[in-house]
Amino acid sequence: MKKQVWFVMALAVVLLAACGGSKTATSEPATSEPATPAPAGEATAAPGGGEKTVLRMWVHTNNAFNAGYEALIAAYEAAHPDVDIQLENFEYGLYIQTLQTAMPAGEEADILQLFGTWVAQYHERLAPVPPEVMTVEQARQTFYAAPIGGYIVDGVLYGMPQEFNCEYGGVLVNKTKFEAAGLTYPPQWKTMDDVLADALKLVQKDESGMMSVAGFDFVAADPISASFLAGIKQRGGDYWNADHTGFTFNTPEARAQLQWMVDAVKAGVVDPVVFNDSTNFVIDAFFQGKVGIGYIGSWAIALGKTNYPDFADEWDYFILPPIQGDTPVFVADSGWGLTVSPHSKHQDIAWDFVKFVTADVKNATQWNITSGTIPAMPAVAESPEIAAAEPWVAKMLPMLPYGQYLGNMPDRDRVMYEIIYPHILNALQGVETVDQAIEAIDTEANSTFQ
Amino acid sequence: MTSLAQGKNASPRLKSGLAIAKQRFVNSVTIPLLLYESLAIFVLGWAFVLMFFEYSPGRLGGPILGLGGSNPFVGLGHFIEMVSGNSVRAVLFRTSLRNTLIFAFAVLPLNLLITLPLAWLLEMVSRYKTLYRTIYFMPVLTSSVGVALIWMSMYDPQAGWLNAILRALGGKPVAWLSDPRAGFAGVSIAMWAVILAYLWQDYGYNMVIFIAALQGVPQELKEAAMIDGASSWQIFTRVTIPLIQPTLLFVCVMTMLSSFQVFDIIQVMTNGGPNNRTEVLLLDIYKNAFRYQSMGWAAAEAFVLFLVVMIVTVIQMRVLRTRWEY
Repeated sequence: MKKQVWFVMALAVVLLAACGGSKTATSEPATSEPATPAPAGEATAAPGGGEKTVLRMWVHTNNAFNAGYEALIAAYEAAHPDVDIQLENFEYGLYIQTLQTAMPAGEEADILQLFGTWVAQYHERLAPVPPEVMTVEQARQTFYAAPIGGYIVDGVLYGMPQEFNCEYGGVLVNKTKFEAAGLTYPPQWKTMDDVLADALKLVQKDESGMMSVAGFDFVAADPISASFLAGIKQRGGDYWNADHTGFTFNTPEARAQLQWMVDAVKAGVVDPVVFNDSTNFVIDAFFQGKVGIGYIGSWAIALGKTNYPDFADEWDYFILPPIQGDTPVFVADSGWGLTVSPHSKHQDIAWDFVKFVTADVKNATQWNITSGTIPAMPAVAESPEIAAAEPWVAKMLPMLPYGQYLGNMPDRDRVMYEIIYPHILNALQGVETVDQAIEAIDTEANSTFQ
Repeated sequence: MTSLAQGKNASPRLKSGLAIAKQRFVNSVTIPLLLYESLAIFVLGWAFVLMFFEYSPGRLGGPILGLGGSNPFVGLGHFIEMVSGNSVRAVLFRTSLRNTLIFAFAVLPLNLLITLPLAWLLEMVSRYKTLYRTIYFMPVLTSSVGVALIWMSMYDPQAGWLNAILRALGGKPVAWLSDPRAGFAGVSIAMWAVILAYLWQDYGYNMVIFIAALQGVPQELKEAAMIDGASSWQIFTRVTIPLIQPTLLFVCVMTMLSSFQVFDIIQVMTNGGPNNRTEVLLLDIYKNAFRYQSMGWAAAEAFVLFLVVMIVTVIQMRVLRTRWEY
């Protein structure tokens, strides 16, 4: 009889453990401050004897970003001794999966780091920014148009951006290769033809004829999409229809931009079979000395320095001239920023912290410098601290106001990575003609609305 | 002191006590396991429900588990779209299904062609047998990501040694993993490159199983065949192969199952490229579920994968079954 009682108790323990396991079912964060974080909004005893309000904050793993968050959390907690913000970070892929499982279950953290362009997909599960914290109009005045654009869905503000995710217009330039090729350094490019002319002189091939150094590597998904969309805009076209209910990629402007890319490849500045997203990705290739001019967002600077500390060549980051005309109109995603869960019991504190981190010029400056990102606020981007710490931002300053938000696409990742990039790559590799690629992009991108 | 070994001569009362103890042991093991399994059944059941909805976890949906509303019921719509749709995801599904079949049906015969003769040869080796077995089995113990990185470095178009050999022989280097135009026997070079890497990692496992099976073949049968004048090849094909047919079935089923589930090595080496030439079904399911948040579509794809695997397995079991024992 005793054994049966023991067995029933053991079963009960197993059942209770199974029922209570839902919190950990979404995978543990890679590194979190405490091993067992308190539930959102729960009060715990403070060292001084009072009670602390505990808020959880979820971010993806990025050491530079998270160092910035940790410093600002410490500053906020110092100013608010009754608040304890616990930072929990997840590897990027795991973070997406965790958000997707935790949000429907209402178990997400109080404060959530989101990529701005994702907000349109998650907005039903996010808390709107209270007007007393910031109105839509105030947000538009505070931040650049591109970064704030993603956080406004149907006229409602759902968060605040921290960075300007600019994939257009910036290039890594290898000074050593420029000088070896007898080219003027720093480059004095007035038009894209000047860039291509320099690039051609930087190209190197091995004895079998395979390209060993690309002159101008623009064949990665982000630069291709960014320059394609910017090229359409700069040629006076648009990829949206009038009411943003469909795409208009089958246009002379889109065709002309793709033809320009194909012509650049035919001229020989890059071999898109050897240099692309999967082989010789531009950042790795540049810091291995295989690229003269590498088209990539400025986020690559910190990454390159971290991953390739022994790279001996001298290099710098420069801005390309406009593709067409004199105005560098371009489109950009909304970058990383902070949002708040509607399930948080302390949304007031959460929003106060979000505003403290994102909209306070001093704090935002500190975060952008620590994370090596382009500021989302003009007031920060133009500050002398940023100019000193991130000199490439000063070079980008004249261009940033021309950035427009990409627009809320029904399936942004699919359009960018499974439609635009593969078809353009096909055209560059000679698998499709320009007309075939443009027609396929138009048809397939519009099918995402169905 | 009573032991289970004495059970045969034990009294009926003792037997009854032993039976109760056995039953308790079985219950204490199986019931927690059943509870554990029920978690998996819940997940499978949820996936089964999801495939009838256009479900995205980012949308609130209806009041019951987020189904309905902005996550609408589509019935068999996903399956109809898979068969006849022209959307990007439908075309990609058909491409990935085709690639998965190519991968699985290429891997299985190639694997058997390598592992069975190798096991037979190793079985005949008298010295260093354990060393050889260890060496051949080592890739199985290596992580798929590590294997992928090793092969990627060999396939590197500029610095890889495969192209170095080609150059040395006066040939033209190949972009093994990134040229969508290059192909062999109607299959892209990138797919062959991935298959080769996968085979390298996987063959040791089947080889060890075949060695165990070969060791179980009665020596007297082989000797009888030899006395009857059979050659080594005839003994291998007419005596050994039929006798290890149950093992062959096991190996075929398991290899096919793991080939249909290939994911990590392809994700690292090509991520489905170039131009979707190596996009396999599991990779497509993963992307749809976690990158594009089309959980309903991904669940429907997973169900199709389950059906395909089940059908192929049943066919294999029918074709390779044996009606005798030795």
